[in-house]
Amino acid sequence: MDKETLESRIIDYIDGKGTEQERAVIESERAHNKTSYALYEQLREVMVTMDKVKPLEPSGKLKIEFEKALQEEIAAQKKTKTIFFTPIFYRAAAAVLLVMAGVAIGNWINNNKQQEKELAELKQQVDENRRVMMAMLENQQSASQRMTGLSVAYQMDKPDDEIVSVLVNTMNEDLNSNVRLAAMDALGKFSNEAAVRNELIQSLSTQKDPIVQIALIQLLVKMKETGVVKQLEQMTKDASTMKAVKDEAYSGILKLS
Amino acid sequence: MSDEQIMEAVKNGDLQQASLLFDRFHKRIFNFLARMTADRDAAEDLTQNVFLRLLKYRHSYNPEMKFQSWIYQMARNAFSDYYQQKKQREPVRMEVEKLNDRMPDILDAMEQEENEKRLIRALAQLPDDYRELLVLTRFQHLKYEEVAGYLDMTVANVKVKVHRAIGQLRENYFQLENI
Repeated sequence: MDKETLESRIIDYIDGKGTEQERAVIESERAHNKTSYALYEQLREVMVTMDKVKPLEPSGKLKIEFEKALQEEIAAQKKTKTIFFTPIFYRAAAAVLLVMAGVAIGNWINNNKQQEKELAELKQQVDENRRVMMAMLENQQSASQRMTGLSVAYQMDKPDDEIVSVLVNTMNEDLNSNVRLAAMDALGKFSNEAAVRNELIQSLSTQKDPIVQIALIQLLVKMKETGVVKQLEQMTKDASTMKAVKDEAYSGILKLS
Repeated sequence: MSDEQIMEAVKNGDLQQASLLFDRFHKRIFNFLARMTADRDAAEDLTQNVFLRLLKYRHSYNPEMKFQSWIYQMARNAFSDYYQQKKQREPVRMEVEKLNDRMPDILDAMEQEENEKRLIRALAQLPDDYRELLVLTRFQHLKYEEVAGYLDMTVANVKVKVHRAIGQLRENYFQLENI
């Protein structure tokens, strides 16, 4: 038996392993061979000593430091919680949130679409109102219709060129003086617009209706339109101008000079 | 609750449960590392490192694997890293004369007979693979089957190597007797 085999069998023997026959061989070897006996004794001492070595106790610091690290990890986990957490509860919660966000976004889009739809309807309504208003202003058969159209125009914040053109034409050409006056009032409301202002100034030279002339002089004075003084002076010299209009023209010259 | 169930809870986000695993395993891991490094302070640092790895790599834990195998594997990896760093700083094989300088704290902490201290010195002189086998089988009392699993060896091979390690330990032990 070589030394390694003998050593291995002695270790098994000390461990209480091996068959009865194997154990008997070792006992015989130990009894009759001094070298084997010495090897047995040495191995037994080493193995018994190994069994006697008590475990080491780590310091309390180890536990304290681990708990500290653990609490830091728990805190970090809370901070970085995302929808990717593995527990099914969190996944479900994340799914619900996603659905809610989806619904909210959907509603928002729907609302936007609804608003767009409403705007389109409103625009359509405005276009329709404008079309009706223009139709009323151009209705030569009914002065009251034209008056209604002018009252609608008066409510507008800012007329477009086409409306201004219709209003100017109505102010200068309409057969009904009340309609002409109403058209002038509507234009007066938009007198901040340079184009409207020019139309009012020009109208002073062409206007033949004394009632409109007086109202127009009052409006231009109110607008502090100093550029019309020469026109007013011309009116005072014009023999066809009614006295009431001349008086208003004199008054205007006085206020604007 | 089994170790595996607790670890699965940790994996699923219940980190506080890691405290239970620490209580169950930290002494075993510390002793394994203390015997492997023969350095008490290093063993404490490495034990801490093992449990931090447990937290860090919790998502990689396979519930079908025994927790004990997993944590010992991490302890072996921690020791391997330590060993590589140590190897760069000093020769691997220790001279007997330097042994006392290296392990005074671990020996002072032992309230054992002189022969037990000599045994620890003899153990520290073994090659790492032999020392690891003896620590696992004789100090930590793990079965050959378990160790074969950790070390990816056959049970028969574990037994042969353990017996050779004991033979080498005997030689180291009785050589130290004469110093």
